[in-house]
Amino acid sequence: MSRSILDLVRQRTVLLDGAMGTELMARGLPQGTCPESWNVEKPAVVEEIHRRYFEAGSDVVSTNSFGGSRIKLAGHGLEGRTAELNLAAARLARVVTPAGRYVAGSMGPTGKFLKPQGEFAEGEFEAVFAEQARALADGGADVLLIETQYDLREALCALRGARRSSPLSVFVTMTFNAVPRGYFTLMGDTVARCMQELEKEGARAVGANCTLNSEQMTGLVKAMRQETRLPLIAQANAGQPVLGSDGRVSYSQGLEDYVRFVPDLIRAGANIVGGCCGTSPAYIRAMAESISRRTA
Amino acid sequence: MKKEDLYLQMKKAIVEGDGAGAGRLAGEAVKAGLDLLEVIEKGYVPGIQKVGELWEQGEYFLPELISSAEAMKAAMAVLNPELQRSRLQARTAGKVVIGTIEGDIHDIGKNLVSSMLQAGGFEVFDLGADVKLERFIEKAESVGADFICLSALLTTTMVNQKRLVALLRERNLRDRYKVLVGGAPASQRWADEAGADGYAENAVAAVKLAKSLAPKR
Repeated sequence: MSRSILDLVRQRTVLLDGAMGTELMARGLPQGTCPESWNVEKPAVVEEIHRRYFEAGSDVVSTNSFGGSRIKLAGHGLEGRTAELNLAAARLARVVTPAGRYVAGSMGPTGKFLKPQGEFAEGEFEAVFAEQARALADGGADVLLIETQYDLREALCALRGARRSSPLSVFVTMTFNAVPRGYFTLMGDTVARCMQELEKEGARAVGANCTLNSEQMTGLVKAMRQETRLPLIAQANAGQPVLGSDGRVSYSQGLEDYVRFVPDLIRAGANIVGGCCGTSPAYIRAMAESISRRTA
Repeated sequence: MKKEDLYLQMKKAIVEGDGAGAGRLAGEAVKAGLDLLEVIEKGYVPGIQKVGELWEQGEYFLPELISSAEAMKAAMAVLNPELQRSRLQARTAGKVVIGTIEGDIHDIGKNLVSSMLQAGGFEVFDLGADVKLERFIEKAESVGADFICLSALLTTTMVNQKRLVALLRERNLRDRYKVLVGGAPASQRWADEAGADGYAENAVAAVKLAKSLAPKR
């Protein structure tokens, strides 16, 4: 068996990729179109984005399947193609992945709530995530990355589902808001509770993504590091989106400022770093340089 | 039970998100022949205000907001038919047409704003997600709305908020409605840029903003 991502984490900081959705849009994904549909309709475009991230220095790319759960796909009327779109997502990433690099099967939130806030039972969520995980594993993902979770209960359903239906290691990132009393998910889950429960349920790496910029993320990584010894993932946003007068969107934290905090993230305890909203292959390239300077 | 104690219990039921309790207390108020408009104003509204404060202080989160908004609904479900029977109407803060903008299927934030506006006394017409611009205007015209509230989670769909404002202008309807925008990528700066009347960062702030802009009746 070749070296796994977890082996690599023990040796050095591992670099993930950056945003996918904005890259697809920059290549013509029409507004309102399901991004996952391009895994089948325009696989070459998705492959090119993965390739660009590998060229920039990513050790791991995450598949174009963030919204690939049956429940989320149903918003586009594509729930009947769940297995097909996820399988394709993993396969096309696999094809462009060089030796010694990895594919993480991305699984985002359903966008719906569990009872009592919503209509769904935990068993239903678990089955939906199990289905997605199976297809990603069949398509050749090396690990599963459950991302951007704002509800610990949903994250645990995803984790259980993923572990039930595939033999792959499962990583989980939650998304936290900074409020006056500390970091909390939308549902009010604390950092301590998230880290502890995810670890107990068998996550092999845990962490946070989205919402916070790289400076704010540093504080959060410190807080997470106090709660777990698992490898920690940190994928910050490049600040807040700002719409220019030319109608183009940029992010408030520019590339240089974003990357400036990468050494701090690592010092605070992050083992696996990457980008989130507002980041691009250029950000990843600069992060790769920052990391190699650090180890050099 | 003294009226004041009943009001305190009503407030507590809302703060604790106790829908069954909120409904039961409303029933007691009806049976006791109390002034139901006063019951709403002095019993339930202070509860939802307290919930807003707890949210702002970072004590309450989305589940608590939803439970409290549901408790408010349970109380109003008992009180509204009684008010109608006596040809009264709960004081409405204004009529709101709300939805997630065309091209965007994200509805968690929008649903929360919709619930909180309802709990805050607005009459809300929720059009759901991925709502065509045309549909917002049709609905607002047909119900005589005061507000059109637009949600967007994506930077790419957010631009449709601006298009809606432009469409209103084109039809000489701009002055008829207050247009409020929200969603993760939105900001005050964006609201200004889009020509909207306001922006709110979260559901509690949205209720405050709408109240501050509501027509004086």
